[in-house]
Amino acid sequence: MLKLERVTVKYGVIPAVWELNLEVREGQIVALLGANGAGKTTTLKTIVGVLRPASGRIFYNGRDITMLPAPQRVRMGICLVPEGRGIFNRLTVRENLLLGAYHRKDQEEVLKDLEEVYRLFPRLKEREDQIAGTLSGGEQQMLAIGRGLMSRPRLMLLDEPSLGLAPLIVRELYALIRNIRENGVTILLVEQSAPMAIGIADYVYVLETGVVKISGTPEEVESLEEVKKVYLGG
Amino acid sequence: MLSLSYFLQQSMNGVILGCIYALLALGMTVVYGILRLINFAHGALITLGAFCVYFVFFRLGFPFVASIFLVLGFGGLMGLILDFVAYRKLRGGPEVALLITSLGFYTFIENFTKLLVSPQPYAFKTPAFLATLYRTPFLTFRIVDIFIILSSLAIMLSFHFFVKRTKMGIAMRATSENLEIANLMGIEVNRVISVAFVLGSAIAAFTGFLWGAKYGQISYDMGFLTGVKAFVAVVVGGVGSVPGAMLGGFVLGLAEILSIAFLPTRFAEYRDGIVFAILILVLLVRPSGIMGMKEEVRV
Repeated sequence: MLKLERVTVKYGVIPAVWELNLEVREGQIVALLGANGAGKTTTLKTIVGVLRPASGRIFYNGRDITMLPAPQRVRMGICLVPEGRGIFNRLTVRENLLLGAYHRKDQEEVLKDLEEVYRLFPRLKEREDQIAGTLSGGEQQMLAIGRGLMSRPRLMLLDEPSLGLAPLIVRELYALIRNIRENGVTILLVEQSAPMAIGIADYVYVLETGVVKISGTPEEVESLEEVKKVYLGG
Repeated sequence: MLSLSYFLQQSMNGVILGCIYALLALGMTVVYGILRLINFAHGALITLGAFCVYFVFFRLGFPFVASIFLVLGFGGLMGLILDFVAYRKLRGGPEVALLITSLGFYTFIENFTKLLVSPQPYAFKTPAFLATLYRTPFLTFRIVDIFIILSSLAIMLSFHFFVKRTKMGIAMRATSENLEIANLMGIEVNRVISVAFVLGSAIAAFTGFLWGAKYGQISYDMGFLTGVKAFVAVVVGGVGSVPGAMLGGFVLGLAEILSIAFLPTRFAEYRDGIVFAILILVLLVRPSGIMGMKEEVRV
């Protein structure tokens, strides 16, 4: 579904991601792990079109999208749930959710999806008219994901969704991610905390300073000594 | 001298000047909210609008309503061109480049207008049906005064509704909070910015007509100080807040007129100074303006 071929992204002259090859198949959850500054967020921003690669190509459902601007990629079903939620703090919960469906013309379906998101997250329904900046961290993450779902994505990119959340909420969140996949959305999940992500993924990439260091199925990756030591705390 | 009717009379004048500042501040605040651009060229739009009505309505004899629509369309078009020619290439550049460019374009438009018309001020007659005078025991007014207040309120209410309720308006507020995330939502940021320029400039051009109709005189340089004061209104009200911009406009207009009205006559020439003194006072007490939210540092 998504394929990156030798993608290099630079900030000025400094490469943040170097000749990255990565593939996500339809219906998979793929985890992209790595420490701070490994290039995970850069990779996601490049996939969604906020950043342009210096070289290399990006294919989505067989089509070369390397040069397409972000709004067009959103219309094709790619959706990034940004790090640190990236919700609009000054808008209401409802306005945030509706903006997720900004590019859609089917107003009735949008309102149906809104009810669906509210069913999924009853807390958001309760706080519909509240300013999003007043929500708790967990609620903000739910809002960010709900807003992503409003775009009817086919490929959802999640950037460190568990960051700063209590363990109990993280468990809920991962159940939700599984649930979203069951509903036919392919997922590329970026995390620093590896165990949960490896547990949920069909395939794992480990980035280190912009280069893919390790890749494989969760079983393969887990068995590696290096991964155990650095990412699984044992 | 300090009678009730004098106070009411001057308050009305203050409200009218406030309407003018508030209408200009609307366009400036949405553009500033998104681009962090203090758009000095915005002031030029009232000059262009005023002269547009002058020629179309008085010289060419177009019907009044047609002239109004024409000036709105003309202003909107100028806003679109300004965004396209002056600012679009500078997106992502330093904010100071935008600021200098806006000053440059203001200067260009002012001098170009001077060349086209003349350095002399033009007498701007109030259209006949707006000139009728009414006297009541407390207040003497012309229809034009009522027209200015009502049309300004109508524009402000519509604009508020637009920003609060419509899809484009919500997208505009989202873009002004975080441009990159707005882009991620599939919002075409450049289009949102164009809409902000078009609406703001159309309103500013219409304000030029109101100015001429009220004060009876227009000139090539009428936009400069007015534009600067409108920006002061934006800052006083709270940068990026639409209700704040309107409030700031009224505070400024009332303060300017009432201070001339009630201070000894020799202070009258300090009216512009008074406006800026208010700015300084408000910023000392509330650095983010009356209705402003604390500015988040953008990375």
